Formats: sequence, C-alpha cells, structure tokens
Amino acid sequence: MQTLRARRRPSLAETEQRRHRPDYWLPLIATGLLGIGVVVVYAISPGVSTQNNVSEAYYITKQLVAVALGAIAFLVLSRVPIRWWRSAIKPLILASILTALAVQFFGARVNGAYRWVQIGGFSFQAAELIKFTLLIWLADLLARAKKAGKLDSWQDTLKPLAICLVAIAIVVGVMESDFGSTTVMVGMISAMVFVAGLPLKRIMMIGGTIAIGAILLISAIPYRRQRLLTFLHPAANCQTTGYQSCQALIAVGSGGMFGLGLGKSVQAYGYLPEASNDSIFAILSEKFGFIGMTLILAAYAVFFGRLAKIIEKAPDDFSGFLVTGMLAWFSVQAAINIGAMIGLLPLKGITLPFISTGGTSVLFVTGALGLAFQISRYSSYSISNNNQRSLNDDPTSGRGQRRTYYTTVRRRT
Amino acid sequence: MPAVTPYRNDRPSRPSADIKPVSPVKRARIIYNCLLFLTVIFVVRLFYLQVIKHDFYRKAALQSQLKQYEIPAERGTIYAYDGDQSTPLVLNEKKYTLFADPKYVKDSLKEASAITKIIGGDTNKVSDLLKTPGLRYVVLAKKLNKDQSDKLNKLDFNGVGTREESYRTYPDGTLAAQLLGFVNDEGKGQYGLEENLNDKLDGTPGELKAITDAQGVPLVSNKDNIQTDPKAGDKIQLTVDIGAQRQLEDILKAGLDHAKSKSGSAMIMDVNTGAIKAMANYPTYDPSKIADISDLSALSNAVVSSPLEVGSIMKPLTAGAAIDRGVITKDTTYYDPAKIPIDGYVVSNVEEDGGPGTKSIADLLRLSLNTGAVYMLQQMGGGQINKQARDVWHDYMVNHYGFGTRTGIEQAGETKGVVPDPDSGNGLNITYANTAFGQGMSATILQMAGAYAGAVNGGIYYQPHVVESTTDFSGKKTAPAPKVLRQTVSAKTSADVATLMEGVFTSNHAFYGMPHMPDGYIIGGKTGSAQIANPAGGYYTDRFTGTFAGFVGGDKPQYVILVRVNEPGIGGFAGAQTAAPIFSNLATMLINNYGVNPKK
Repeated sequence: MQTLRARRRPSLAETEQRRHRPDYWLPLIATGLLGIGVVVVYAISPGVSTQNNVSEAYYITKQLVAVALGAIAFLVLSRVPIRWWRSAIKPLILASILTALAVQFFGARVNGAYRWVQIGGFSFQAAELIKFTLLIWLADLLARAKKAGKLDSWQDTLKPLAICLVAIAIVVGVMESDFGSTTVMVGMISAMVFVAGLPLKRIMMIGGTIAIGAILLISAIPYRRQRLLTFLHPAANCQTTGYQSCQALIAVGSGGMFGLGLGKSVQAYGYLPEASNDSIFAILSEKFGFIGMTLILAAYAVFFGRLAKIIEKAPDDFSGFLVTGMLAWFSVQAAINIGAMIGLLPLKGITLPFISTGGTSVLFVTGALGLAFQISRYSSYSISNNNQRSLNDDPTSGRGQRRTYYTTVRRRT
Repeated sequence: MPAVTPYRNDRPSRPSADIKPVSPVKRARIIYNCLLFLTVIFVVRLFYLQVIKHDFYRKAALQSQLKQYEIPAERGTIYAYDGDQSTPLVLNEKKYTLFADPKYVKDSLKEASAITKIIGGDTNKVSDLLKTPGLRYVVLAKKLNKDQSDKLNKLDFNGVGTREESYRTYPDGTLAAQLLGFVNDEGKGQYGLEENLNDKLDGTPGELKAITDAQGVPLVSNKDNIQTDPKAGDKIQLTVDIGAQRQLEDILKAGLDHAKSKSGSAMIMDVNTGAIKAMANYPTYDPSKIADISDLSALSNAVVSSPLEVGSIMKPLTAGAAIDRGVITKDTTYYDPAKIPIDGYVVSNVEEDGGPGTKSIADLLRLSLNTGAVYMLQQMGGGQINKQARDVWHDYMVNHYGFGTRTGIEQAGETKGVVPDPDSGNGLNITYANTAFGQGMSATILQMAGAYAGAVNGGIYYQPHVVESTTDFSGKKTAPAPKVLRQTVSAKTSADVATLMEGVFTSNHAFYGMPHMPDGYIIGGKTGSAQIANPAGGYYTDRFTGTFAGFVGGDKPQYVILVRVNEPGIGGFAGAQTAAPIFSNLATMLINNYGVNPKK
C-alpha cells in the first residue's frame, strides 16, 4: 500500500498539492448502500424471479458480479492518475458515439426504448458511458476555459456547451428516449458550469433554452405527455398508466414507521414493476419504514456532503469540476428516482445509485467514485489560479492541518 | 451542513472581504444546501406517506394482496363390515394434476417430449397445449401418481407444475358401486350414498386468508394468514357386509345369466333392524372409470329407484292384511271359482292351477291364485270389493306396509311408487282387485323388503337403512338405534304370514332351486311373475318381471331377501324359474357363511 502511494507522487510542477489520508467515508457509505442493495435484492429474489421467470439466483448473481466489477473499477480509477483522463477524452467521446450507434442498430428494445446493447451476458446501457464521458470532457473544458479566463466566451465555452446539449437532447432524449438520463446530464452540466463560475445571467439564459427544449420534447412525444398527466392525476390512472406509481405509493405507505421487515415485503411479488431496479426505493420503504428510510436518506446526504467537501478542497479545478459533476450525477439521479417513488415527480426509467440493480449503473457509479476517492487524497494548499481562495488557506477550515502531510521527498517507511 | 467553527481560538476569523462573488466553494455549498433541502422535503413526504397515511396505504395494499381461499376438507370415507372387521369401501387418494402456464413455456416441443416420457400420451398434443395462446392455465394431465409428479417436478420447467388433488379410490373395484355412488370432478357426490349423504361426507372447508403475489399464489411465510382448519367429512360405517355383498353380486350375475336376463336386482335386509346386509343391481359400473360410462341408467341403484308392478309377491301381504283384519285366518278354506268378473273384466288364474274348487289360504299362496287374492280383498269388504274393501286395503298398503312413500334409506334417487287412490278414478274395483295380487300399483324392491320384513318379524316396520354409524371430524360417533316407522300387522298375524310363506317354500323348494331343505332353518318365500305395463295401454303378453320375496331364519325369520329379474329370456314362470333360484342361492349363502341363527 505504502509502496503504491510512494510511486504515485503528486507532481509539484502542476499545482501545489498535499497528499494525505483519503476520504474513507466515500467508499464506506457506498459499500453500505451497495450492501443494502444486495441484501434487498436477495430478499426479494423469490418474488421478482418468479414474476420474471428466471431462476431465483438470477438477480443476486448478476448484482454480485456487477458489484465485483464495480469494486475493480473503483480500485483502478482511484489509482489511475486523474490527469490521464484528460488525455483520454477523445477516445471516450468516440466510444460513446460508437455505443450510442450500437444501441440504435443492435440494441434491445426494452419498454419501448432502445437503451441497451448486449455484450456477452450483460446488457450495457449507453447513457452511463455518455454520463462518464460528459463528466471528464466538461470538467476538462471548464478547467481550461477558467484557466484562460474564457468562461464566458462563446467560441471556447458556450458553443461547445450548446453543441453538447443539442447532442444529448438528440441522442439520449430523442433517439434513446431516455428523459431521465437527459435530465441527469443537464443537471451535471448545470452544476458544473455553476460551480465553474459561469455568470448567473448566462446560466439563466441556458436554463431557459433547456426548459423550452424540454417542454418541446415532452409535448412532442405522446407517452411523455401521458406520464406527465399520470403524474398529475395518479389515482385516476391506477389500473393503467399510473399502475407503477400507485403500487410504489402503496409500497412506501404500507411500510409505516418501522417497516414490514426485510423478508416481509409483498409488493415485490409481482405488484410493483421493476422491483429490483427502478422501483427499489419503494421496496426499501416497505421493508424498512420511515425510520429506515430516513437513515438511508441521511446516508445519501452525508455522502453528498463528503463530495461537496472534496469539491471545496479540490487540488485543482479539473478535479473540483469532476467531483461537482459526479455530485450532480448521483444526486439528480437519486432525486429523480426517489421523487418518482414517493409521488413528487413523474416516473422515469432511472436507477437509484448504488442500491438498484443494473450492471452498467453500478459499474460506472462505483468507478466514478474511484475518481472522487483519488481526488480526496489531495488538497491544494496554494491559492488557486484565479486568486480565489481555497478553503485550504482558510485557517479556520478543519481540513488539511490535522492530516498527515506526506512529503513527496522521502519514501516513508 | 454544520457551520464551520474555528478549531483554535487564536486563529483569526475567516477572511471574506476579498472573496469574489463567483466562488466555487460558495456555489458548491449552494448546491449542497439545495440537496439538503430536497432531502428534508423527501423525509417530510415520507413521513406523510408512511406515518400519516399509513393506514390508507396499508388498506390499499391488503385490498389487492389479501385473497381468500377455501381449503377443501377431506371427504369422509365409507366403511363396510368384513365379518366383524370394519373395512374401507371407499378411500381418498392424493393424486396430481399437471398444469402449465403457457406464458412461461420456452420450448414447448422439447418440454412436451420430456413430459410425455413420464406420463405417456401424445407429445404433439401436449406441445400444443403448452403454447395455447392467451391462456395462463392449462391442465395437461390429471390423476398422476406421486412418482410421476416427483419426476415432473424434477424437470423444473418454468411454468409447469403439479398440484395435489384428492380422489376417491375403490379398493374393491365395482363392489357396491351403485349403492355407494361416486364423486364427480367438482367433488360433489353423485348417486347412491355419496349423493344422499353429500353434506355429511363433504365436511366443512377451511378458510385461508392469505397474502398472495400478483398472480394470487399465497406467500406462506406471511403473518397475515388467517386460517380456520377444514373439518373433514364424516366417516360412514355401513351395515353392509363386504363378503355378502360380493357373493350377492356374483349370485345375481350368475342367476341373470342363467335366466338370459339383461338386468336385475337383489338385496338382503335384516328383518329385526332394517339394516341392509347387501344390495346390488346388474349391470353395474366401475366407479374409477366414470368417464367411460355410456349407459347412465347403470349409475342408479335400481333397488331403490326403479319401481315395478310387484306381481304375486304381494299375495302374502294381502293375506297378512286380511288375517290382521280378522276376516280370514291362516286356516280358512273357501270356494275358488277360478274366474271372477269385476267391472266388466275377468280376474282368472293360470291354467295349471286346476280350475274351480275349494282352496285353503295355503293353497292360494302355493298356487298363487289371483282369484284367491281377490277373495281376500272381498272379505275385507264384507264379501265384495267395495269402498270399505278399498279403504281397508289402501290403509294396509300405505299405512302398514309403507307403499307410496319413500323408505328414507340413505340413497339418492329413491322413488315412492304408486298406490291407486281408493276413492277416485275409473274402474276402482278392478284396479283394487289387481293390487291385491300386485298389479296396478308399483313399489321398489326396497319397499317390498321393508313390508316383508315388517310382515314376518312380529309386525314392526323398521326403517330400512344402510348406514350403521357416522363418526364426525372430532371423533364423535353417532349410531342411531333401529327406527320403528310403523306397525304392519299384529304379532300373531305376522307369525301366520311367516308360517304360510314357509309352507309355500317348503312345498316348492326343489322347484325353487333348493333341492334339500337345510336342517334347523326356516325358509319362506313367494314368487312373482309380474306383468309389465305397456305404455300404450294394457300389459305386454310376452314380457314379465320375475320376482321373489322371502326370508331365512332359525326359530324366526332373520333376513328378508328380495330378487328381481327383468324380462328373463327363458320360458316358464318368471318368478319360479328365474328369481327363485337366485333367492335359494342367497338363502344358502346366508346360512352357510353369515351366521343365520339355527333353530334351538
């Protein structure tokens, strides 16, 4: 371990960084959430496997493999130097385009939309790769723009952003018909440009454009309109279009204060569609009740708090924007998923990060977390380039001073 | 997010003046605070849904999840005696129904061939069933055994399964089939005992309120299951003796073959209790192959369901009535004119009876004189057939011998026969003259047996019954004492009737198929060759029913035996030639094997 650390000495040439103990809260909470997911998937396996006519071990096996792959991705991404990704942007974009095309031509139609491509025994969701690519590309773009002071430049910042938004709207929103993922990506872009310091005026302008686009998208596609109507009048459509929403509310509501217990939930037995996947939050609510769900929401809040902390302490802009995008990715996705389950948002086919089954989601979410974990090892202790003060310079900040300062000069023994 | 507090007091407070409005740190915090706010909203919403509206959603959940099921009660079993031992005639057996949900079937041909390898049958047919479109439940096979079911379950095909179902089994095959009846596919008793005692045999189904999955399959582990246990149906102990029943069926079949008759009935009843010892008809059926039966009439227990004009076996009962009224004695002699004109008709005897002359009551019965029967009826009317004669005889038939009403035996489809009204109708006198020798009225073999038993046992009409006791699910046994329905004739008259019948049999025993009278036993009987009414009017001249009614005993009559042979194909007197030998064989069988008490 220490050998590894020593080998990856931060370069003082780029920025002044301090290397210290990483934020173990991140993998700890993520492991906890993944664990809850695995246990719940195991508990509802008899139900969902019967309903979907697969063997009882099907879901749990798939999920364990996904978690294992995710763990490997986490370890790899927490060790591959962050800078390396900046040089991998072009291949990543190429891979994203190829995957998006593959989904269109070889994809499996699931619930009326082409979102998956089958690779071996696993189905690969194109949107996840696109999110990851977007994360790296935009963090790099914004970091370079900020360094050059061209954040507000049409040519350098706004034009690529506009192209990117249009591309997402066409590929993810229209072609894959994945409004949930589109929303997540727009959320990521918004959070990243916001934190990067794009003037509020610009942000509001872009936001307005996005809102108009979204309205157009919704009104153009009948089933979206239907979903929105269903959301507005859930009880009226309980037996038809609103079935999943109603069953989700029933699952959540029947959980009560303390829940029915891990093995006692019933809604997974064919009542609630996508019980192990998009609807898992409702199943959790049924099993664990208000107390349990408050704890799980608190775990997410703490987790997001750690990410926010890493943003504040980020050793450089690229890292900071990266983690910002990640925070938006995870949080918007979680909010959309949970919001739909508790009847505050319309339904979207989107997973609950870390808990839902879904190989691609688990793989990319845990992999991306590896980046954040790596970034949490470093803090900047110089004033960053825009003369903005990093909190590390703030003597009142709790961070840094208490931590071991690994010098880069000598190998520790 | 907690406010940042200085960790050391001597540090200067946080500088803020030179932070530009666009601070990434500040903006990250804004985002995070938004998230915290959202989290709070979610928690509040969860509190609303899970705590405040909990009852509402719990109710909504149970409305679709909780389904009510009936747990079928085990049907009561039926026992008979094998000597002193109680032995099952009908048991329940668990068999298995193979079903499939076509939605889950992947490769119907492959699965079908694996299935037919175990259960046999046409692979293509099973394959077609397996891919029935639009159906979620198809039955592939029924009544599979445990071994087949286990093998099928081992195949582990998705959407294919077996379900346990209870079926009746008949350890003794066709034995007493019509007496027992059967249970149809809906679990309801049909015919015989099964139909008549269906409510008792049925039991009370249990109730299962179960949380189920969306397809309605109960999730057994759930605590919300509310269950009342099913109560098994009553166990029925019959009075029937399996050995006697088997021999009676064999003797009946052999006798019918000998008589070249297609059908017939026979029964044995204990005169002192009304308990049926054996009862059968031919042809019968195999209750385990109900589906193969083409002739539905074979399902009925003709002994109780098929009335007939009984013919001359009525004469001892007519004599009993006349003796009981005191208008004749068993030793009376009278002048028999051999022909008696009534209402423009003439009642006559068969030629062999020897023409007019002085006859005794014993002669009357021995020769089976129709004119003698009319004589007795006339005596009831003070010398002629009139309203008094009709009323008296009607009273005896209905209120003493029990004709025209059902006996109430535990059998489905019992008929009550016809007794003509004594006061209204055309040709009342000739009709009543006919009833005196068993024509113009009808009764079942069972009704005759009940009347005969009452006429020879000292005058008590016991309720004919086939059930000795019932034991309910809790083990409570009910064994009612033999039920007295009515007085037939006085004890003295009853003894006279028995004596007269004994005389008839003793003088004709060789003719009746019993070459040697057994020592120490009394046997009495009377033949009947009943004419069969032509639906077009009048009677067939060439079609008869051979009947025989008699008893066997030691010091006194113990069992009555009734035999009926429908339309025998051999010549001679139907009763004597066809029914009497069956009676004789049954009487011998009872004496030899079933402990008729010999004379002391």
